[in-house]
Amino acid sequence: MSTLELFHSIQTSHLSSVLGEQNHLFGAVAELFHIAGLILVLSSILLVSLRLLGLGLRAHTVPQIFKATSRFFWIGLAFLVVSGLFLFIPAADQYYPNSIFWYKFVLLAAALLVHLTLYQWVAKLQSPKPAVAKLTGLIALSLWFSVAFSGRFIGFF
Amino acid sequence: MSLIEFSQVLYDSEFGTALRESVYAFPIVEGLHLISLAFSVGLILFVDLRLTGLFLRNVPVADILKPLRPWLLTGFVVTISTGIALFIAEASKVIVISVFPLKILFILLAGINAIWFEHKWGRNSAEWGNLAAIPKGVKFAGLASITLWSGVVITGRLIPYFGYQ
Repeated sequence: MSTLELFHSIQTSHLSSVLGEQNHLFGAVAELFHIAGLILVLSSILLVSLRLLGLGLRAHTVPQIFKATSRFFWIGLAFLVVSGLFLFIPAADQYYPNSIFWYKFVLLAAALLVHLTLYQWVAKLQSPKPAVAKLTGLIALSLWFSVAFSGRFIGFF
Repeated sequence: MSLIEFSQVLYDSEFGTALRESVYAFPIVEGLHLISLAFSVGLILFVDLRLTGLFLRNVPVADILKPLRPWLLTGFVVTISTGIALFIAEASKVIVISVFPLKILFILLAGINAIWFEHKWGRNSAEWGNLAAIPKGVKFAGLASITLWSGVVITGRLIPYFGYQ
């Protein structure tokens, strides 16, 4: 099955028509969860990344801040994924031809990959090499903020 | 000049028209308005979570408040200035949407709460910030801040839903 066919079968699924028939405030509530999740994810990443860069909460170690923000990051990501699916499933056919939509998900895949590998590894080290810490902070920060920024662009193009 | 007339002047201004009609500038300003939230509202949220005891509760409040202050204030400068630019571009349309004045009200209340907190508690956080029990007034300010800033984000996100019915 091609991606186009996959998107079309999502669009024509039973779940899609159930979601699509909801009052427009259903979409509004999904958007509210999406922005709440965005704030939780981005500011958790921001706190850890600033510390990796030697800025922000300098009185504490990177692992302390990583551990304290981790819960908020995962709650935020759960909000984003669930609300994102509710927004995507009823409108899959409209997203397919949107190139910004695809940029966003390439960036998201990269952000998640870095998060689960390099970022987790460096953030747990008591004293990472400053250059490695800084580079990791910079990569995580740019990837996650680019996901959010490109997400805002989808509706305009 | 009434508020409606004034909003029309802003809407028709050279800056407002140029931003509204631009292909890239408008989405870029919208994008900055959104991601700067992580610095402004997002960082203030973590300060509030500390004040209410839900984040790094064993850490002195001053150790969180002081180093984050310049970052969150810079965040607010970006969020507010992009917000003003977006308002100018859409002024006469947005001013008649019922949730918009509500958003402004939440911003004013959240601002007053922040100034009151800074004045009463923020400047001497080293004195009470290490105590096992956080003073009641501080907890209240933290909870009020979370509630009011959430109100700002919620009413802000709902503007298009109330505008195109």
